[in-house]
Amino acid sequence: MKRLLRAVGVLLTSRITSPVVIGIFLIIYIVIAFFTEDALITQMELTRRSVVLVALLALLPLNIAGRIVAEIRAFIERRRLMYGNVAGSDPELFDETIEIAISPAFAGLRERLDVLGYRTRQTEHNLTAWQGGSIFPARQLFLFGVFCLFVGIFISLVTRTSYRGPVVEGVALPAPSGSGGIVERIRLEKSTGRILSKELIMEVAPSGKGDARTECGIYPPTRYHGSFVYPRFLGVALLVRFSAPDLPSAFEKHAILNIYPAGKEAPLEIPDSPYRLMVSMADPGDGSDPYVTGRMVFTFKLLKDKEVVFAGNVPGGGTFARDGYRLAFPDFRRMVITDFIQDYGVLFIWTAAILLGASFLYWLPVRLFFPRREMLFVRQGTDMIRACSRAEGNDRDHGGVFNEVLDLLDAGRAGERN
Amino acid sequence: MVESIIETNGLTRSYGDICALKPLDLQVPEGEWLSVMGHSGSGKSTLMNLVGGLDRPTAGSLRVGGEDLLALSEDGLARFRREFVGIIFQQHHMVPYLTAVENVMLAQYFHSVPDEAEARSALERVGLGHRLKNRPGELSGGEQQRVCIARAIINSPKLLLGDEPTGNLDHKSTVMVMELLKELRAEERFTVIMVTHNQDVAAWGDRTIYLDDGVLVREERMKS
Amino acid sequence: MVAVKLIPHILSWAGIVLVLLRGFPGRRSVVTLTSISGFVIGVVGTFTLFRSFPGTVVFGIVTSALGVVFLLIWGISVASIYRSTGRGVTFLWVERLVNTSLCAGMVAAIAGVVAGAVGICRLPVTDKTVLGLSLLVPASGAVAYAVAYATLAIEKRLPKSFAVSPYGMPTAVAALLLFSSSSILRLDLFSPLSMKVMKFAHDFVHQFMESMLIPDHVFIQSYLWRYIGLLFGKEIGFWGGLFIWFTPALLVLLAGQFERLPPVAHIRQGAQRRKILAAAIRERRFRLVIPLISLLFFVAAAYQSRFPSVEYWDPKPIVVTATSSGEIIIPKKGEVDLEDGKLHKFLFNRGGKDARFFVLMGPAGQLTVDLDACAICKPDGYGQADGTVICYYCKTLIPLETVGKPGGCNPVPITFAEKDDGVHIDALTLINEWGNTVQSTSKIKEGGK
Repeated sequence: MKRLLRAVGVLLTSRITSPVVIGIFLIIYIVIAFFTEDALITQMELTRRSVVLVALLALLPLNIAGRIVAEIRAFIERRRLMYGNVAGSDPELFDETIEIAISPAFAGLRERLDVLGYRTRQTEHNLTAWQGGSIFPARQLFLFGVFCLFVGIFISLVTRTSYRGPVVEGVALPAPSGSGGIVERIRLEKSTGRILSKELIMEVAPSGKGDARTECGIYPPTRYHGSFVYPRFLGVALLVRFSAPDLPSAFEKHAILNIYPAGKEAPLEIPDSPYRLMVSMADPGDGSDPYVTGRMVFTFKLLKDKEVVFAGNVPGGGTFARDGYRLAFPDFRRMVITDFIQDYGVLFIWTAAILLGASFLYWLPVRLFFPRREMLFVRQGTDMIRACSRAEGNDRDHGGVFNEVLDLLDAGRAGERN
Repeated sequence: MVESIIETNGLTRSYGDICALKPLDLQVPEGEWLSVMGHSGSGKSTLMNLVGGLDRPTAGSLRVGGEDLLALSEDGLARFRREFVGIIFQQHHMVPYLTAVENVMLAQYFHSVPDEAEARSALERVGLGHRLKNRPGELSGGEQQRVCIARAIINSPKLLLGDEPTGNLDHKSTVMVMELLKELRAEERFTVIMVTHNQDVAAWGDRTIYLDDGVLVREERMKS
Repeated sequence: MVAVKLIPHILSWAGIVLVLLRGFPGRRSVVTLTSISGFVIGVVGTFTLFRSFPGTVVFGIVTSALGVVFLLIWGISVASIYRSTGRGVTFLWVERLVNTSLCAGMVAAIAGVVAGAVGICRLPVTDKTVLGLSLLVPASGAVAYAVAYATLAIEKRLPKSFAVSPYGMPTAVAALLLFSSSSILRLDLFSPLSMKVMKFAHDFVHQFMESMLIPDHVFIQSYLWRYIGLLFGKEIGFWGGLFIWFTPALLVLLAGQFERLPPVAHIRQGAQRRKILAAAIRERRFRLVIPLISLLFFVAAAYQSRFPSVEYWDPKPIVVTATSSGEIIIPKKGEVDLEDGKLHKFLFNRGGKDARFFVLMGPAGQLTVDLDACAICKPDGYGQADGTVICYYCKTLIPLETVGKPGGCNPVPITFAEKDDGVHIDALTLINEWGNTVQSTSKIKEGGK
């Protein structure tokens, strides 16, 4: 049992666990790519369905969590040593550790290190010297960022649910909860931002759940009743009335047409008949956007089997009639095809992006301009000193100083001999 | 018994018809300070160049530090000079646009890799801790020569060669430099061969040999 | 002429033997013998496979072996960078295993088998008889023996400083194998890699945008969308492929550069310390030579793949028209001979819309009619060479045996009737099929959405 726990501990804290797991997923991807064109989607689906793969994926955040704990412990231990709070030293925590006999020069060592630009602290047993800032915070930000990334991917892959529905002006928001408020208005406006070219605002009245009036925008996506509201395509909800001489009765339907921007065609099948409509929004030609202004004229083509019967334009609310055919669009409303997504993983991935960015911004200047360099001299009994050194950058320069200090102690001992 | 660091047997160096050093037999024990005196053209510098691996003899044998210099290839000789010998000349031969510490680091670079802390420490040892960042032109003659000493000893040579190192210095500076060399020899235990015209300078050594027209004419042991 | 074609492959194998001899110091005889045996087994085994299976299968097996080699060096290079940068990361037991005779023999044998297999793929294996086989064994054995022992003699003369690290060795072996195989169209790994990278980039960007709820291009500033659009172009496949192609050698290079210097704090003489450091730095620099040379071979392999010396058969499309009944009829022996095994391209126009297609007789003697486009890529069309047709857009090779079958980057097959007077194709079906294919593949440019 003890051995098993130890093995689990090693697995969770090892630096090579994550690369190995990622390697396994890479190999699986390559194998899948041999057999299908949609390798990534297939792999995601396969992972979702396989307990083994889910467990393997879960190992990634667990391993990073293990690394976070291990590295914090090492940091605290080193800090306690450097503060002189404890006697002793752990060679694992340093780049180089040697033992050297105490020499008279040890008394002047602190002064020497001060001259060399190191900050020093001396206690009864220890002399510590350090320079520069530690990259530990950057490393921790990085590890937390990677942890969030893996947790986000895991949650997203395992728990994500998505529901697509049309959001139509004057109709209740089709939230998966089933009790969305009425969409009072959909506004599309030009954006002056650097990223988005348009702003889309869906104004939703309070629902029966007692929530407040909500405005759902594009990015970052608004959360509504636990789901992210993710607008995908714009279009029009069009009330279509159609009658033809050879049809026994008139056809009427609220059609959801994906016809944005102007000119994009969408088909509308007339059931139980050979007829089919191709509908699009006509471009007003004055540079305005009919979806924004609300002044919509619809271009249509009526097809019977594959032949075009006739084509024309009908303004919203208008009617077109010819040869016994009658086509009317009495009602039209702005519509947005929207995905309602329940996925808490997204929040983690956003957090990861912020943490990784912050980590890089901290790491770069510290590593380049003032990396941490440390020395620790610990008395071992009455006649020996253990000297430890560690550098996060400028290793060679720091190593030179460390060696010079040791030479000084050695020369001091020579002086004692003489 | 102290082993010889230099052993020559019939060591000869000719330049065409001119024989600068006639067959010379010489033993220098390890750790000795040997002064070489003689007039201009007596073969002092020729001897120093041969012992330092800067030149090859025409005839005879030459062993320095157990190495048969005649058997060494050009690369081997370069390695010998790099690792075994330190030289101080009358002129400082420092790079004028580098600082004192950089000049010492240059010697480290040609030996292995530069180490600023060690170079700084070496300059502190020769009493120039306050002149680290000064260029040669900003140093006095005595200080320049002390930089040269730091540069010569930085690679821990077994053999230190001096070719009139105090030739350009006043008496006070000469004494300072010689005292410094004496101290360093005591610490580092290297062998010194010092070519000089100056009897007072030669007197700092353990033994003096006199050359005349390429021949060892006299030898004198100093009282310690 | 055949012998000239084999020279680069034999030299590559000689390079592999040289690297192995240096990579396994003290295992000269094992490496030499297993290298020779492996090479002969590779040559003879692949020849036997060619006798028993269609070419597609054999090329598939050899390409897969090369793929596995490439994957292995990816793993090894990642391990090398972890080892040299991570404190406490060691692969001591692996390194100990690498230094055994067994490992040396296995690596040399496997490298020999793959090198031999690649070499024989270069030859047109026409004589598939037992006699051919019985000639091949002594011939390949003699060549392998001569080359291996010449290499051994050269290796003995090389300076000691020419050291090969345990990580540089597999990198160099893989680089030489891939360099050798990249000159053979059907063994080329770089082009399919680029194609897979392109596909992955499309899928990944699409999935990423969906996962992070990033809005569609309708809402994004057009200048920004142009940058995002770069991720959907075919260039992403090439550059991404190059990145993956070069990374192992680069990682091994970096690993060598990041390797920690030996501890010297216990030495109390500065010159001695610096000498040890200088020696370590010099040794580290020498160890960079092999990964650097490997990198050059990877570059050469990618170049050979990108600019193959093969000339593609790509005839100008012949304009055809439909009969009044809406049929396109192409006579078998008309302007061109449809049954000559070559790709014959045709162009049909109706109502201002063009449809490009080709007729080809496959190795099995069956005619096939296909669009000059596939269901994935932009319709840049196909060329024919060396038992394959190639998609000009993504450089995927389609063996002639599979032309006429749908899926992947295969040309989209068209229903046709083979009659005495020629091949009959329905013009409307052709135009519609072309229209649908081109419309769906053009989405790639719009961002795959």
